[in-house]
Amino acid sequence: MTAVYMTQSWRACSSLRLGHSLFSNGLLRGLHTTQAAHKAQAGRYRVTRNRSKPLTYEMANQPCQIAHRKSWNSWNTTSLYEGLREPETVVDDIFIRKFMTGTWHNLFVSEVIIKRQHNMIRIAGIVQRKIAARKMYFLIGYCEELLSYWLKCPVKLELQTVPDKKDVVYKYI
Amino acid sequence: DIEDKMLKLGGVTPRLYSQVLRLAASCNIHTTLSTFSELKAEENEEFRTLELRSKKFVRQPARVMKSHNVVPPRYKRQKVDQDWGNVWPAARTFHPASVPLPVRQGYPASGQVTPDKWGNAELMKIPNFLHLTPPVIKRQCEALKKFCTPWPSGIETAAEQEKYFPVMVSKSTYLHSSPTLRDQKARIVTLRVSLKSLDLDDHGRDKLLRLVKNRHDPTTDCLTIVADRCPLSQQNYDYCFYLLTVLYNESMKTEPWEHEKEVADRERYIWEGSPSQAALQAIIDSNEDSTPEEVIEEYKKVVIDLHNEGEDEPTLSRYRDSVMKLVGLA
Repeated sequence: MTAVYMTQSWRACSSLRLGHSLFSNGLLRGLHTTQAAHKAQAGRYRVTRNRSKPLTYEMANQPCQIAHRKSWNSWNTTSLYEGLREPETVVDDIFIRKFMTGTWHNLFVSEVIIKRQHNMIRIAGIVQRKIAARKMYFLIGYCEELLSYWLKCPVKLELQTVPDKKDVVYKYI
Repeated sequence: DIEDKMLKLGGVTPRLYSQVLRLAASCNIHTTLSTFSELKAEENEEFRTLELRSKKFVRQPARVMKSHNVVPPRYKRQKVDQDWGNVWPAARTFHPASVPLPVRQGYPASGQVTPDKWGNAELMKIPNFLHLTPPVIKRQCEALKKFCTPWPSGIETAAEQEKYFPVMVSKSTYLHSSPTLRDQKARIVTLRVSLKSLDLDDHGRDKLLRLVKNRHDPTTDCLTIVADRCPLSQQNYDYCFYLLTVLYNESMKTEPWEHEKEVADRERYIWEGSPSQAALQAIIDSNEDSTPEEVIEEYKKVVIDLHNEGEDEPTLSRYRDSVMKLVGLA
């Protein structure tokens, strides 16, 4: 009486029927499973009804477009064959990004781009012109000084400013 | 009086006090009307204004962000014949206001053109070589020339270099984009020397080859010693030369136990004293007319080749031909 069999229809539904244990009073209780739905939703933005959401070029291109239409935000030698210090570099990058977006309050309109060359770190990005130039100079010096102390190497900021954040909008969805 | 005291304390003018009281009135805070009216009388107002309702909320105009004066972009102030090497001396992220080129980068959105250089993060991400234009490279080469010396005369060809500098030592240094400059692989030192330049006799060469085993490459006849057991490359370099010295000296020496070398230990087949030689001698003796010298020499050479180079089509066919000649069937 222990008939253990599994039927799998071609639709995305399969039911597992165990003869004995779940068979009581003439009723069958089954376990229904579906095939794994391999959905990707990373880095993708939902379309709005009235096409009001602005997207930058970075946001508009999905992660699958990296190396096709998009480039990397972090440039270093750690992922090359026998490259050293990969995990430390990743953690340093996370810290730099948090620090930059936090220090420049709502001013970054692009991702923080981190390039490592020799023992230098060059941080680039696009910033809005919401604050005076003098304040920007102070923030640049502040970031460079403190980051170089924390990361133990020369840090250079190479920012580009944009009058309005609408200037970096690529499309509306 | 309390109000007089407040006024005397200073800093509280009658006007300010009346403003506070009016504010209190608008906020429905209880005040003594007597003082209010007294102050009003002081200010020479004829009628009291009866304010039943609080004042309408007047929306303040939104804070207008001051548009900061921006310097015009640099490319408009640059001369056409300026020295670009001074504008872009080192590697730098792309800056659209400094670069006078109308570059575009990116996949265009539907109905749009390729995004231009202003506010283009893609252009900033990629490495650019604006700091290495040909005139700049030329200038750098000119500056480096004074540190260069001409190639020494007498070692132009590879043969001369091999003759005067037979030993070649190589080591690598590694550069990573990190604050540390340590890489363990930099301690590895390789020494290459051709055995022709080491003056070894047969015995010495055989002994050396037995000692070094697979470090010798038979096709190029080169001995390669790799040292990485010490932490510093200088130590590994010294160790390499020490090994070379020891190998050479040991292979020149002959130990007493080396005479116990047997036929099976020999690295190659030696004709003299071999069974094949004895067999050939027997054949020659049994032969009535004397076999020519060259047939004997050919047979000897072919048998040596067969043993040393292994059995394959050419050696076997040569052996067959030689035997046929020897026996007289060819």
